[in-house]
Amino acid sequence: MDALAASLSGSAVSHDESLKREFEQRLADCPKLAYRVALGVLHNAAEAEDVAQEAMLRAYRSFNRLRERERFRAWLVRMTFRLALDRIRSKGRRERHERAAMEEQREASVEHLVTSREFERHVARALDELPEKLRIVMVLAAIEGYNTREVADLAGLSEGTVKSRLFLARKKLAESLQCLVKNIPVG
Amino acid sequence: MTDAALGELRAERERELLSHAMECEACREALRDATRVRELVERGIELLVDGEPSSQFLTVLRRRIAQEPHPVRSRWMAWTPVAAGALTLLLILVIGRMPRHNGPSPIASRLKPSPSSPDVTGAPDATRLNARASVSGRASDRLPRAHKATAGLPNIIMPEGQLIAAARLSEAINSGRVDGTQLVVTQRDADKPLEVNPIEITPLDPPPTPDDEEKPAAPTEF
Repeated sequence: MDALAASLSGSAVSHDESLKREFEQRLADCPKLAYRVALGVLHNAAEAEDVAQEAMLRAYRSFNRLRERERFRAWLVRMTFRLALDRIRSKGRRERHERAAMEEQREASVEHLVTSREFERHVARALDELPEKLRIVMVLAAIEGYNTREVADLAGLSEGTVKSRLFLARKKLAESLQCLVKNIPVG
Repeated sequence: MTDAALGELRAERERELLSHAMECEACREALRDATRVRELVERGIELLVDGEPSSQFLTVLRRRIAQEPHPVRSRWMAWTPVAAGALTLLLILVIGRMPRHNGPSPIASRLKPSPSSPDVTGAPDATRLNARASVSGRASDRLPRAHKATAGLPNIIMPEGQLIAAARLSEAINSGRVDGTQLVVTQRDADKPLEVNPIEITPLDPPPTPDDEEKPAAPTEF
């Protein structure tokens, strides 16, 4: 009886160990993905790292309940996105972004603008103004040049939906940033 | 212009726009602006998400994970295949035990030969038509109350018209206007057209007196 109990507990431990090893394999590339998704929403490295940590930790805690392990990346992306949005809401970051952008408006060339903090703030603000469903596809499409199929897999959407949302997102962003270009001299 | 810059215009429309822009300075300028904006958007978003977590990220994460309790495979997941198999077996058993309605006729009746009624015709399925009718909706509402009190009797599933006729017949039998023992139910071949055979109904009224013989007998309605 003791032998049986021992063998059973042994198999449970090996089960848990295999689960841990399985999760460990995902630590190779998933933290970077989580970090970039969070960065796309929060526009702040420290906060993005914090949210990515939290998302990975939650993923670890719930890993045993995930039935389709191959969907782990999509699951992590959505969890990170939600956590990042929660962080924004709790801190009222949007208002601070807008204030900062208003303070630093000045003319610049396109090249200067693209590399400047001011431009980053403008884009960040325009991105923040997008509806959530457009924002996530826009952020994912910008990460490591994911194609439409990959974005669809990660966001849990059809490829057609991703295409139309990407077009809408780009159009809205272009409209938001149009005023920026009008006053910039070329070159 | 934005659509054109985002490459979402149809080829024909795009050609038209480009040829127009060759001649129109304002449109050329607008298209140039839209293209610049598109480039800015793409570059800007790429910049926003371009970054790597710090070198300490994994170290901190591993330390936090080490503080967590060991993940345990959830017990219910192990039982899922067993539960699914049991459910399938149960479904098969339930479906297998369900009564089947074979044949083109929707009438499915379990007629119980009445021991008290004599077999007038000698047909094996002669019976009294006195059973609880199983119907839905409006037809059920039209039934006399007497039928609702006959719970526990066999179910009869039949079209609405036949049901009403059966209800009327049953009411006539119960009220004593019709002698149920004289009725005969025969199996009808579904492929043949319905033959209407007149039923001879003996009224239960006392034998006619000499006065009544002069009057014609009132037709029995049911």
